Amino acid sequence: MSNKEPVIFTIGWNACINCGACVAICPQEAGFISAFDTIAVDRPCDIACLLCEDICPVSTISHSPANLTSFAR
Amino acid sequence: MPDSQYDLVIIGSGPAGSTTARFAAQQGLKVLLVDKRQELGAPIQCSGAVSRHALEEVGITPDAEFIHEPIYGFGIYNEKGDSTVIDYRRLKADEYGPEEGKKPLGYVVDRRRFDRYLMTQAERAGVEVWLKTEGLSYKPGSNGSCEVFLRRFNQEITVNARVLVGADGLQSQVGKWAGLRTHIKITELASCLQFIVDQVETEGLLEIITGHEWAPGGYAWVFPKGYGYAEIGLGVIPTMTDRNAQWHLDRFIHHSFFKERFKNSRILEIQGGGVPLASPLRTQYADNLILVGDAARHVNPITGGGIHTALSGGYIAGNFLAGFLNQGKAPTAQNLEGYQNCWLEELGNKMWKLYEVKTEIFRKNDLAERDIQLYQTMASYFSPDSEYKKI
Repeated sequence: MSNKEPVIFTIGWNACINCGACVAICPQEAGFISAFDTIAVDRPCDIACLLCEDICPVSTISHSPANLTSFAR
Repeated sequence: MPDSQYDLVIIGSGPAGSTTARFAAQQGLKVLLVDKRQELGAPIQCSGAVSRHALEEVGITPDAEFIHEPIYGFGIYNEKGDSTVIDYRRLKADEYGPEEGKKPLGYVVDRRRFDRYLMTQAERAGVEVWLKTEGLSYKPGSNGSCEVFLRRFNQEITVNARVLVGADGLQSQVGKWAGLRTHIKITELASCLQFIVDQVETEGLLEIITGHEWAPGGYAWVFPKGYGYAEIGLGVIPTMTDRNAQWHLDRFIHHSFFKERFKNSRILEIQGGGVPLASPLRTQYADNLILVGDAARHVNPITGGGIHTALSGGYIAGNFLAGFLNQGKAPTAQNLEGYQNCWLEELGNKMWKLYEVKTEIFRKNDLAERDIQLYQTMASYFSPDSEYKKI
């Protein structure tokens, strides 16, 4: 499946060092941020470039398809 | 609400924001400096190295309050461990050293204390500071000022500013509000991780370890951190490796030519961040708005160092805005281009040149050749007769 399908990011908070690199690389418009200064995890990312996963120094960002529920049906 | 009208509202109280604020306030501007954090400098995303002259240029006297350890030079290593030592205690023995009457070349600072110290100096110059205050958006108006929407301890507050200064770091949102092209390429953002460690000896030198073997696209470092502690870190370019920075740092510590030196190391703190090895932003201004520091990508593309460039950028921005607004000029994008021109002349053109040097090195496909070039460039960059004026 193409990476261009919208995704929801999950952050493993245990490993997150709050470095902000994911926000720095994110090409989304302003505001795609969580309350903990990471990329947003509460809404779909329709760009799905996954650069945030690449830049994370501790690889603690992962994703799942945003339309997972429709797959289940 | 007469109190809600400011000459400048500055978002982000790091070195760039607080320095902009201090110089603007010293020249009579009414300045509001906001930061969303409860404690400045944290979480630390920086190694903390800064030259003495960078501090003195902006009127900061080196102070024990924020200094971890004085620095006297550099040790540059290639991938095999051969080194070039540039120790100013030997090269310019009458000028540099720990003895009375001599000076350090620079310092490793504690970013928590340093950022707070700079904010304090700004406050003492008359700047109003609000912590736990985040910027939400801004709207340029027709009367030459803009509205800035803030949230302070959960309360939404609107203030007016003639100029909004985005000093909100590499993760800058302020530039995006204005539609500036702030996006950085994945090939130019180093993914960095560092450990503060006990049981690793250092000698007052900033040690830089080059080589694709250890840090593809970046370099590794060992810096003195005071109290007998050291800082071991590295940055990698994600497109040049299949592994993350953590994996490379672990490998550097346990398998490099320094493995004996590091064998008793104990981790005391873990820090990380993205470090741009990129060009400055091409456009750092918009209507009623400028960017400064990491937000404008005022970072040395060879070393990744950003404190000096943030302080200098803040000095330039604060002075420019004070002169500009005190003359009653309208802060349109067209007029604020003057800030960027000023910055290019004093600092930016040199950074563009360094960016070209860096790009030339990493354009080489032959890794061995690239390693040699990076090692030589680093060694010559830090030498006393360097062709590059220090930034």
